[in-house]
Amino acid sequence: MKIYLDEIWPILASRRVRWTYIGCFLLLLVSCGKDEDWRPFYEDGKSTVIYDLAGDTDASMGDGAEGKEKRNFNIFLFRFKDKRQIWIKNAHDSAQWFQTKDWDIAFTGPYNSEIYVNNAYHELNPGYGGEADKTAVVLIRQPYEAVTVAPSDSEFDASDVHKIGWASSESSYGWFRYSLQTHIMQALPNRTYVIRLPDGKYAKLQLINAYKGNPEAVTNMNWPAPYYTFRYYVQEDGSRNLDTSPQ
Amino acid sequence: MLFILWLPVLSFAQERLLKGYVVDSVERPIVHATVTLLPDNQVYHTDDTGYFEFSKLYEGTYQLEVHHVGYVQRHVAVDLGGIDTTLHVSLHTVGRHIEQVRVEGKVTAVDNLVNAENAAMPIKVITRREIELMGSRRLDEVMKEQTGVAVVNDISGGSRAVGVQIQGFSSNYVMVLIDGQPMLGRNNGNFDLSRISVTNIERIEIIKGASSCLYGSDALGGAINIITRHGAVMPQAQASLLYGTLNTVDATLEGEIPFANQRGSVVVSGNYYRTDGFNTDDRYLSGGSTTFPPYENLSFQGRMRYRATKNGTIGLTARYAARNSKMYNAWSEELTLEDGQKDQDVNIGLSYDHHFAHGLRSMTRYYLTRFDTKLYAQWLRQGVLAGEEEFGQYNHRIEQQFAYSPSNHVKFTGGLGGSIEVMDNQDLDDKRSLQTAFVYLQTEWRPIDRMLATLGLRYDHTNSYRGRVSPSLGLHYHLSESLLLKAGTGAGFKAPDYKMRYQVFFNPSANYLVVGNDRLEDVINGLDAAGELSYKNSYMINLLSGNLQAEKSWSNNIGLTWSPSSKLQTEASVFYHRINNQINSINVGTGTTVSQIYTYRNLPKVVNKGAEFSISYQATPDLQLSIGYQYLIAKDLGVLDSIRAGSYPYNQYNNARTGEYRKSKPSDYWGIEERSRHMANLKLLYEYRPWQTSVNVRANIRGKYPFQETNGNQFIDDGDKFVPEHTLLNVTIEKKLWNRRLTLKLIADNVLGFTSRYMLGQPGRVILGGFSYRIMKE
Repeated sequence: MKIYLDEIWPILASRRVRWTYIGCFLLLLVSCGKDEDWRPFYEDGKSTVIYDLAGDTDASMGDGAEGKEKRNFNIFLFRFKDKRQIWIKNAHDSAQWFQTKDWDIAFTGPYNSEIYVNNAYHELNPGYGGEADKTAVVLIRQPYEAVTVAPSDSEFDASDVHKIGWASSESSYGWFRYSLQTHIMQALPNRTYVIRLPDGKYAKLQLINAYKGNPEAVTNMNWPAPYYTFRYYVQEDGSRNLDTSPQ
Repeated sequence: MLFILWLPVLSFAQERLLKGYVVDSVERPIVHATVTLLPDNQVYHTDDTGYFEFSKLYEGTYQLEVHHVGYVQRHVAVDLGGIDTTLHVSLHTVGRHIEQVRVEGKVTAVDNLVNAENAAMPIKVITRREIELMGSRRLDEVMKEQTGVAVVNDISGGSRAVGVQIQGFSSNYVMVLIDGQPMLGRNNGNFDLSRISVTNIERIEIIKGASSCLYGSDALGGAINIITRHGAVMPQAQASLLYGTLNTVDATLEGEIPFANQRGSVVVSGNYYRTDGFNTDDRYLSGGSTTFPPYENLSFQGRMRYRATKNGTIGLTARYAARNSKMYNAWSEELTLEDGQKDQDVNIGLSYDHHFAHGLRSMTRYYLTRFDTKLYAQWLRQGVLAGEEEFGQYNHRIEQQFAYSPSNHVKFTGGLGGSIEVMDNQDLDDKRSLQTAFVYLQTEWRPIDRMLATLGLRYDHTNSYRGRVSPSLGLHYHLSESLLLKAGTGAGFKAPDYKMRYQVFFNPSANYLVVGNDRLEDVINGLDAAGELSYKNSYMINLLSGNLQAEKSWSNNIGLTWSPSSKLQTEASVFYHRINNQINSINVGTGTTVSQIYTYRNLPKVVNKGAEFSISYQATPDLQLSIGYQYLIAKDLGVLDSIRAGSYPYNQYNNARTGEYRKSKPSDYWGIEERSRHMANLKLLYEYRPWQTSVNVRANIRGKYPFQETNGNQFIDDGDKFVPEHTLLNVTIEKKLWNRRLTLKLIADNVLGFTSRYMLGQPGRVILGGFSYRIMKE
């Protein structure tokens, strides 16, 4: 071993080789990285994309405030047809809206993160006892683009998807995961909700982000939330065709 | 027995004394260097002045082998004639030959008998001169240019949690010590090294791997020991100032003076530092926002030594540092977050060093440290607090160390002590103090000339947790004159903290409950009785309740050092670290009002393995090149098990970019967050003597590394967010004037201006200029 090394040392130390080291060194210095900037493209020409729809941010900012009364998040409703956000802040609001067919989905719970499709039969649904008696949701564990046809009515009727919130287990129908390490909500990318709406039309929905600006990754635990980014497509002709691929 | 027979013979022989001093390349004494006399195999450890001696020697030819960590070993041939001989042995620093500045009387650690070498783990030493040549101001800047070391933000700990990672071990497993005493003040387990100014640092020792056999709990994955300056030969003072980009100011005043006929010395220094901070995320955060916080820091340090008697020296060390920081994060004018931090740090150490007869040395040490911090974040427009935290803690520590060499082949270093850590925090009800007692013994054994074995054993007992033994074993073996084999193995541990065992924490905004392991059964039964439990995982609860183990590590390394000449040093090693029982949270139930219930459990196994390689080459007397490289694989074996078992959410692979959605497989697992596979450091140091000018160029290259898991399967795969591979290029130019009294400096950090929104603490290009001026009596 020693002899072998002693033999190669003069070679390594020779003048020509010495300049090779310096050359390699300078070459390595040139290599430099670039920050990648990649965001999924949500606009397909057919779907409606809602960016940064503010939820009850006053309630979220009140967190941890000492001496301030902690209140629950106000519910808001959303109507696909005219992209209208409807706030429920008091009994009058709820009496006016909950039991009607005039809304499609409701954002409830902490950070408005628990979503319900207007439905008359489920007790915890804001639309309980109301007019939306034909609605249902089916979760399809595929990316939004891949869902091109709504399932059969028997599948809708058999579905037990009610609250769409924190996906804490395999069987959960939730749309996001909450990390206890980073305390960040992350939308699960391959969860598409196909909906039979109050008016009988079929639609598909993807929830994309709850943080302002729809960042790919959140770099601050106080990143403003909830600001919802989501997209949906309603088949206006009443058919089951939900293909949104651009022509 | 042998001695008794020899002594009478020796007394009749012609006896000669061989003595000398071991110094570094600028004639500063090297304390505690090992001098071995061959062929007799006598060993002497140099004292405070670098002095060594061998008495009662016959005339003849001897060999001296002189070595010390951080220096290149030397062999000196001595022809001992008919007179007593005094030698002058100078050692070169590893990886550095151009050291021109002569600073008198600065020596290495003096108030600690525990030698970092005894950790049996690879040690990297950074000298004061290296720091000067780098032009770094804060300790994190020095650390992040070292091979295998990374400084990373911990998002989960908030905007201010920054820590140092060593060979894949995260900051909460790396102990930070000042003169061998632990420093306090962590944020979510992260120790922010930017708190520490490099002014007044004599050297830094980085131990890569488990070093609990030296420092106890918390040194599970490594340690950083900062050794401050001390000692003075003549009165002198130095002032320095740097100013540049981001309105960065670094101002230092230092002074030193000997007293009582050189029996005592005082070294003092003060430093002021400020910066405006930097925004790495201008896509989302508007003007005036910063992700790397602006701050100002004021620190004072002083050290005094006094040789009270012939054999006894008293040492006193004091340090005070305060930081104040306020930063803004504005997503819009309406959404502006003001984020503030204020902290203070006090360290006081007292030591008494006594040399007894027969080579027994004793060191008595008392240490007091206090750290307090206040953090808050508030929404400016709304006037609403987003978070607030305030805590403070004290640590008192007393330790008695001994060093003793019963023969030339063996050296023992032992000690015992105890510490009390007291928290101000009222949340942690009755268990507010942590008491620790420890005892240790380290043995250095040189059975034959070419071999040195070190064996360490330490026992720690804490009131919050049971006792634990940490062993270590190291071996140095010279295969040939230029080839040295090094191997080591050692154990580390970290006891679970109070919150993991007893705290019951409810997060109202996310509506979940985390229950300390020892209280799990009570809390679950209580919720059940109140009808607030909708599901419980009884199997897990029975398995986990009251059964939380300490986190344990086992570090191994083996490597070769090849130094064919004084111009070339190469080192290659492989390492394998295993962490068992890493503590993490687990879901054990759901409630009717509380959505999720969690507790803590031990995860099976995490492995960091890899290789390190370094070359240092003196191409010409004025040009030095060096390369360091680390390959690292850091994986949580529990994740691999979960993928194999197909358990949720690990069973899915989602890549929104490629549109690939499928069942996951073990090969999808990339590794743990914030760890690069490849890291390399290239350094070039050139000195142009006619102009007394040196140029130091460093390229710190990091391969891509995962920043955050974003696709919902709880493990890192290529569908998650990564920091891309990048190079941080730093250049420092230094020129000496007026008989080296004045030094001009130009520093350019991150010349290529690389920034990433996932590297919150890395500013873009920073250019600083300044000077330092030395005043001394001629």
